[in-house]
Amino acid sequence: MSRVVYDGTPIECEPGDSLAIAALRAGQHPARGGTLCLAGDCGNCSAIVDGTPWVRTCQTEARPGAVVQRHPNGSHPSPGGPEHHTQVTVRHRSADHVVIGNGDSGAAAAAALRSEGHDVLVLDEAAGDEVVGVFDGPSIIVRRNDGIEHFHVHHITLATGAAEVHPVCPGNLMAGIFTPKAAAKVRAAGVDLGNVVTVGAELKAFHGEGRVSEVELADGSRVSCDNVIVNLGSAPRDVLARMAPLVPVQIVGPAAEAHALPAAPQEGVLCPCGKITVEDLDGVWNKGFHDLELVKRSSLCGTGTCQGAVCMPHLRSFVADRSGVEPKPFTARPAARQVSMAEAAAGYHIDTFRRTPLHGEHTKLGATLDKFGGWFRPWNYGDAVSEYWAVREGVSLGDVSTLGKMMVSGPDVVEALERLYPNHVHDIKVGRSRYVINLNERGHVLDDGMICREGDTRFLLTFTSGGASTAEMWVRDWVETWGLKVHVLDRTVSHGAINVTGPLAGELLRRAGVNDDDRPKFLQHRHIDVAGIPCHVMRLSFTGEASFELHHQIDQSVELWQALMELGAPLGIKPHGLQALFGLRLEKGHVIVGQDTELDSTPRRINMDWAVKLEKDAFVGRDALIRTASLPDERRLFGFTMDGPAPLEGSVIRVNGDVVGHVTSSWDSPMYGHAVLMGWQKRLPHADVVEIDGREARVSAVPFYDKEGARARM
Amino acid sequence: MNEFVETLLDLPWQVGDPKPAYDVVIIGAGGHGLSTAYYLATRHGITNVCVLDSNFIGSGNSGRNTTIIRSNYGIPESVAFYQHSLEMYQQLEAETGCWIMHSQKGQIWLAHSVSTARTEQTRALMNQAMGAKTDYIGPDEIKRLCPQIDLSGGGRYPVHGASYHHEGATARHDRVVWAYAQGALRAGVHVYQHTPVTGLLMDGDRVTGVQTPKGNISAGTVISAVGGNVTTVSNWAGVRLPIRTHALQAFVTNAHAQEFDPIISSNDLVFYVSQTPRGQMLIGAEYDRFASYRQATSFAYLQACSKKSITMFPFLAKLRIMRSWTGICDVSTDFSPIMGETGVPGFMISTGWGTWGFKAIPAGGEQLAQLVATGSAPLIEPFGLDRFAKEAAMADPSSAGTR
Repeated sequence: MSRVVYDGTPIECEPGDSLAIAALRAGQHPARGGTLCLAGDCGNCSAIVDGTPWVRTCQTEARPGAVVQRHPNGSHPSPGGPEHHTQVTVRHRSADHVVIGNGDSGAAAAAALRSEGHDVLVLDEAAGDEVVGVFDGPSIIVRRNDGIEHFHVHHITLATGAAEVHPVCPGNLMAGIFTPKAAAKVRAAGVDLGNVVTVGAELKAFHGEGRVSEVELADGSRVSCDNVIVNLGSAPRDVLARMAPLVPVQIVGPAAEAHALPAAPQEGVLCPCGKITVEDLDGVWNKGFHDLELVKRSSLCGTGTCQGAVCMPHLRSFVADRSGVEPKPFTARPAARQVSMAEAAAGYHIDTFRRTPLHGEHTKLGATLDKFGGWFRPWNYGDAVSEYWAVREGVSLGDVSTLGKMMVSGPDVVEALERLYPNHVHDIKVGRSRYVINLNERGHVLDDGMICREGDTRFLLTFTSGGASTAEMWVRDWVETWGLKVHVLDRTVSHGAINVTGPLAGELLRRAGVNDDDRPKFLQHRHIDVAGIPCHVMRLSFTGEASFELHHQIDQSVELWQALMELGAPLGIKPHGLQALFGLRLEKGHVIVGQDTELDSTPRRINMDWAVKLEKDAFVGRDALIRTASLPDERRLFGFTMDGPAPLEGSVIRVNGDVVGHVTSSWDSPMYGHAVLMGWQKRLPHADVVEIDGREARVSAVPFYDKEGARARM
Repeated sequence: MNEFVETLLDLPWQVGDPKPAYDVVIIGAGGHGLSTAYYLATRHGITNVCVLDSNFIGSGNSGRNTTIIRSNYGIPESVAFYQHSLEMYQQLEAETGCWIMHSQKGQIWLAHSVSTARTEQTRALMNQAMGAKTDYIGPDEIKRLCPQIDLSGGGRYPVHGASYHHEGATARHDRVVWAYAQGALRAGVHVYQHTPVTGLLMDGDRVTGVQTPKGNISAGTVISAVGGNVTTVSNWAGVRLPIRTHALQAFVTNAHAQEFDPIISSNDLVFYVSQTPRGQMLIGAEYDRFASYRQATSFAYLQACSKKSITMFPFLAKLRIMRSWTGICDVSTDFSPIMGETGVPGFMISTGWGTWGFKAIPAGGEQLAQLVATGSAPLIEPFGLDRFAKEAAMADPSSAGTR
C-alpha cells in the first residue's frame, strides 16, 4: 500500500493504480463529475498533478507521494510548484515500422509486419506511451512519464481503436457514470461499484445530488443505482489520421471503420469542457451558423481541453439532423495527447551568442558586453568618451574578430568577384585592397567590406559582423549559379582581428617590432609578424585615424592583445568599445549597414554611387540600378549637425511640421561640442534646415571630421 | 451555458444562386473581403456586391491568426494606417452591435540588448510622432505591468527595456468576420460559401468577372481578397506579385487562472504571448523560413516556441499545450501590404498581409471600398502595387526583424 495526497487527503492506492482508479477506490470521482472513459480521450478526470493543471488522472500512475488537487469549482486552475528545474528527458529514437496501439488490431498488424521480416515497434498507451502527434518526416512525438520521445520512422500504422461515446442528457456532469470499458477497468482493479445499472440509447436523464442515484429512461421509468454504465457504441479514434493528412499512415481496425453516429442530442451538456448545451447549439444554428465549422466556432463546442473527443459524434449528429447532410469530422491538430510546455521544449537549445577569443580580456578590463549580430561584444570599458579620445589622440585597440573573413581563390576568382561586386576588381594590385559594397538583385545594399588581393587568383574578402553569417551562402550561391571555378573558405571564426587605431598606432607597431618600411600604407595589406605573432595586417580606417587591422589565428589572439596592451601602456593605450566606435565612425560619415541603411537602400540613397561602376558589363544588381537610376527619388540619407545634447536615435525629422524621416545615428561629438547625426529625408524638396527633437538641425556635408582623409594616411 | 457562446449575431443568408452580374465581386469571404463589402454597402450605397469563398466564411487566415490589434509600426505611412484601423476596432462593437470581445491590453515589445533597445526606442518615437500611444519603458515598469516575467530572461536574455503600446488590443477573430458578414448581408450584399472561383473572365486585358462551378459571374470590378493563394488568382489576370507565401504557426494552452494582462512580444527571442478571455495562453512566433502553402503544424515549432516562452515566463513550463494551428502568410518583399489597383482594368487586390492582416481588417476594407467608390483612398495610396516599379517600397525597419 502506498499513498497519494488527493485534494489534501491521503488516500491509499494499490500498485498499478492510476490516480483516477485510486480516487475511485477511495469512493471519489477523480475530478468533480462527468462520464469517465478512463482511456485518456476526455478531460473529465483532469486535475492538478504536482502543480501541472489539466493532467488526465486516468493516464497517470499513482506514484507514491504524488500531490493531486481538483480544479477549482467554477474557475480555471493555476499552475503551481517550483517552476525552474523542470527537467525533462528527451530521447531520439528511430524505427522502420511503428504501430500505434496495442489492442487486437494493433497486435495483429504488428504480427503481420513481423512475419514479413520487418522491424516493428509498438506504441502502447497501456504501457505509458501517449502519442502527442504525427508530423511530417514522418515523425511521432510520444509523451511518457519519464520523458519525451521523438521517433523518426519510415512507416506508421494507426491501430488506435475506437473511443466510447459519452451520454448527452440532463445530469450528465454528475459522478457515477462510466463507459463499459471504463467500468471494466475499475472492476479489474478490484473496486466495487455497488449497485450498477447498465443503459443504452433508452437513457433519458440522470438524477441525484452531485452523483447519480437514479437513471430515467425514455419510457419515463426510473431505476435506482450507485453507478451507471452507459453503452452508446463507439466512434473511431482517428485523431492522429485527421491531424496529418499528407503523412502516409495506414489505419487498421476500428479506427478505420465506419461507425454510426449516435442519435441527435436532445437536451443536456454536449461539450463537458465548455459546459456547452444542446440549447446553445440550437441558438447558433437558428442564427445562421450552419457549417459544422461555424457551429463549432460560434458555440465553441469542440474547442475545449478534449478538442472534440467527447462532443464530435454528437455535434456531427446535430448538424446532420438539422441540415440533412452528415458532415465530415473537423480537422484535428496537435496535441492529440497533451504535453506541458516544459515537455515540448525538451531538447531545444536557444542559439547561443558567440564570444570572441578576447572575451576574457574584455571582462578583465571591466567591459560591459552586449549582444550585437549574434556575438557578445564590448559596448564600453566604463567611459566611452575617454575611449574616443584614446583613438583620436593616442592609440587604442578594438576587437574586430567578429568581422566576416573569407578566402576565395581559383582560376575564375576575378571573374566571380567582378560579377559579385559593383566596383572593379581586376585592377586591384596584389598587396592592395578596396572598400566595397554588396548589392542584391534589386540593387539594394546588403553589406559592405573590403577586398584584399593576396595573389593573382587569391583574395581575402571581409564582411560586416552582422553580414558574416550569410556571406558564405551569398558567395557560394552565386559562384555555383555561374558555374565558376572558385574555392571558398570562410575564416570568420578561425581568425581573430584586432584593430590598432589612433595617431600613435604606427608607433605601437614599431614597438611591436614592425619596421616603418614594412608597415603597409593606406589601403595596403601585408603579412608581417607583430610582437612575434604572424599577422595579416590591413591598413584601412573606420575610425578616421590611422588603423591597422591585425588578422591572425585565434589561438594567438590573447597573446597578441596582451602584448599590444603592454607595449602600448607607455603610450596611454586604452581599448575602445562599440559605443565609442559608433561615434568615431559617425564623425567620418561611415554608414553602418542595417542601422543607417534600410531594406531597400540603393547606393544613390546613401550617397555611395561612387562605389558603383555602371560601365562594367555585369554585376549583381546592375540591371536594377540602371532601371531605377532614371526614376525620381525622394529618399536620401543626410548628415546633420545641431546644438545641445544629441537627440535619441530614432527621433523623427520634421520639415514644416511634417515627418519626413528619422535619425539613424546620433552622437555628442567630444571633438566639436555639438551633436552630429545621420538621418533620412524622404520628401522633396530636401530641406537644409530641419526640426529634430523640437530643435533646429542643419544639413551638413559628411564626413564631419577630417574631410580630406589625411589622418587615416598618417 | 457558456458565456462565450455567440448569441447576438445572426447571418441572414440570401436565398438561391448568385446572379449573373454584380457591380463588384469579391473573391474571399474573410475579414478583408467582408469588410470591403460591408463598407461598400454601408458607406457608399454600393449593395450590388457578391462575396465568394471556396470554404466557409472566415475559413482562411481570418480564423487562424493570433488576434492582435496594434499600430506600433516603424514608418509614418504604416503607423497612420494601422492607427486608423485600431481606432475603428475600438468603435466596431458600437457600430455593429456585435460583441467582438475587444479587449485593450497594451502590447509590450521587449528588448534584450543595446541594439534592440534602440529599435524599440525608434518605434516609440515614430509612433508618438504619428499619433500612436507608445512609450519606451524600463524593467521596473515592465515588471509592474507583467509580474510573471523573469526580467533576467533565464540569465541569458536580461530585459533592457521595452516599447509599451498602450492601445494594443485583442478581439475574437471569428466574431470580427461575422460582424462584417452580418452587416454586409443585412445591407443586401450576397455572400456565397463553398463557391470557389476557378478563373477570371477577361475581355482583352480587362477583367470582367469570375468563373465558378455555379456559372460565370460578370462584374464591374473584381477584388481579390484572397489569403494564401493570392498569386494563383493574380496570375489569371496576368499580374505578377512580389509575394512569397509562408506558414506561421501558433498554439494555445488549456485555460488557466493566471492573470496575464498585456500582450508581450520579444524582439530578440521572437515570440509573443497573451491570454485569451477564455483563459488560454496564446503563443506565437515568426513564420517558417521556407515558402509553403501547407497548414500543417510541426513539432519543431512547438519545441522552439515553448523553450523561448518559458525562458521569459517560467510559469508557462507547467501549462499543457492544447491545440496548435497554422496560417498561411502572403509576405511581400518589403513586408508591407499591397492594396488597390493592379494595372489591369477591373481588377483590384488586397494582399501582402503577411502576419498582420487581422489588425488591418477595418481600415483595409474601408479604404478599398472608398477607392472603388470614389477612385481615391489616401491612407492606402502608399501601399499600391506600383510602388515596387517606382522604387518606393514601404520597407518597415521595425517589422523586418519581427515579422
